Amino acid sequence: MRTIAAVTILAAAVLAGPGWSAGADKAALAKKQDTLSAEYGLAKEARFYFVFDVLGRKIELRARGMVLKTWPIREMRFWGRPEFAGTVELVKKTTLKAPERIVIKPGETEEIVKPAPAAAAAAASAPATAADYDLEAIELRDMPKRFGLDLDNGLHITVKAKTGAAAGFGVRVREAWRWYIGLPLQDLVGKRGEHELAELELTLENEQDAQSIYWHLFDGIKGIIL
Amino acid sequence: MMIKRLLIAAAALVWLGFLAVLGASYLLGLKQASAWPPAGQAIADKDVAKVERNVQLLEKKMAGLPPKGLYIVIDTAENRLYLKNGSQIVQTAVVSCGSGVVLEEQGGKNRSWVFDTPRGEFAVKSKITNPYWVKPDWAFIEEGEKIPKAMEDRIEAGTLGDYALGFGQGYFIHGTLYTRLLGRNVTHGCVRVGDEDLKKVFKAVSVGTKIYIY
Repeated sequence: MRTIAAVTILAAAVLAGPGWSAGADKAALAKKQDTLSAEYGLAKEARFYFVFDVLGRKIELRARGMVLKTWPIREMRFWGRPEFAGTVELVKKTTLKAPERIVIKPGETEEIVKPAPAAAAAAASAPATAADYDLEAIELRDMPKRFGLDLDNGLHITVKAKTGAAAGFGVRVREAWRWYIGLPLQDLVGKRGEHELAELELTLENEQDAQSIYWHLFDGIKGIIL
Repeated sequence: MMIKRLLIAAAALVWLGFLAVLGASYLLGLKQASAWPPAGQAIADKDVAKVERNVQLLEKKMAGLPPKGLYIVIDTAENRLYLKNGSQIVQTAVVSCGSGVVLEEQGGKNRSWVFDTPRGEFAVKSKITNPYWVKPDWAFIEEGEKIPKAMEDRIEAGTLGDYALGFGQGYFIHGTLYTRLLGRNVTHGCVRVGDEDLKKVFKAVSVGTKIYIY
């Protein structure tokens, strides 16, 4: 009796397996078509776009289908109902302190290169290198290490780094409250403005990756989410 | 005493209610998380062949988009130039890109300039050996000097190094006297490259070679 039951179960599994697999294959094929179609729409024009690969845990900057830059994602978590269809657009970047352009007036150029305070203090023991100079310029090091990206489909992405200065106790409590109490309750209530609540938090390996994303993803850049 | 008990009971009820709502929201969140990222929509059996053909067509179209042969990629944040062939990096160079500074003219026409290296897809439009710099208005304004009327007063030799690759709108990939600042964002929008690296890139590329600056 047991043998019969086992054979029956095995036969059912063998028969059902390909059916399920074929269904999954068809869904994957449909998704591949949608993704390729969306990417081709972006890649055929001379502009940059981003690809956020959720399962691959990476963000890529691409042009003409070529990968120009890749940022691996160490951790991610989300709340809500993100809707991904076709292309998305970065509406704006939000940060507590956005980098500001330096405005110079005529005749001030002789002060462009000046040693940073830290470099000046160390100057007695070691000669300064080009990397030690605090230039009148906006550079990667001036970009924020923690910021938000608002996409046109209502998805809000928070980008931060695993390494770097630890946030203060107050900030950590506020973040914990927001993530574990505030957002779940908002999600239960439903829509936030036009869109459903969709919050995603990405943690990158290092601060430079976060700054690099802020530098390269400009307002208005389009992309796709896989 | 009775009132105190009632208050404690009410507070406990509120707390339990809050926990119940929070629990419900977590269950909802878990349900949503299990459906993310979404799978593709199911397609009918009769459409599978059509979709497969479409996918092949799209893949073929995508494969035809990247440039053929050598092309230049410039990362303005890292200040790096890559000479590439397909996905292979042929050469890497440390460069200097735009400072992002804004220059405002005081008086006169009250013009302003933003010293960014332009981002996007470009192509090499000119290859120049022993280039000389025709100083634009901003170069004089920045120095607090009077803008000359005669063209010959704008010409400066040696500043751009031995080679220059023009990619439009007055922007060049050129040499530099300020080699110690390579790797930093210091330029007025052009891309400065060290002499040896520039020589190799200059010899390798031709007019029409694609340039991607991001």
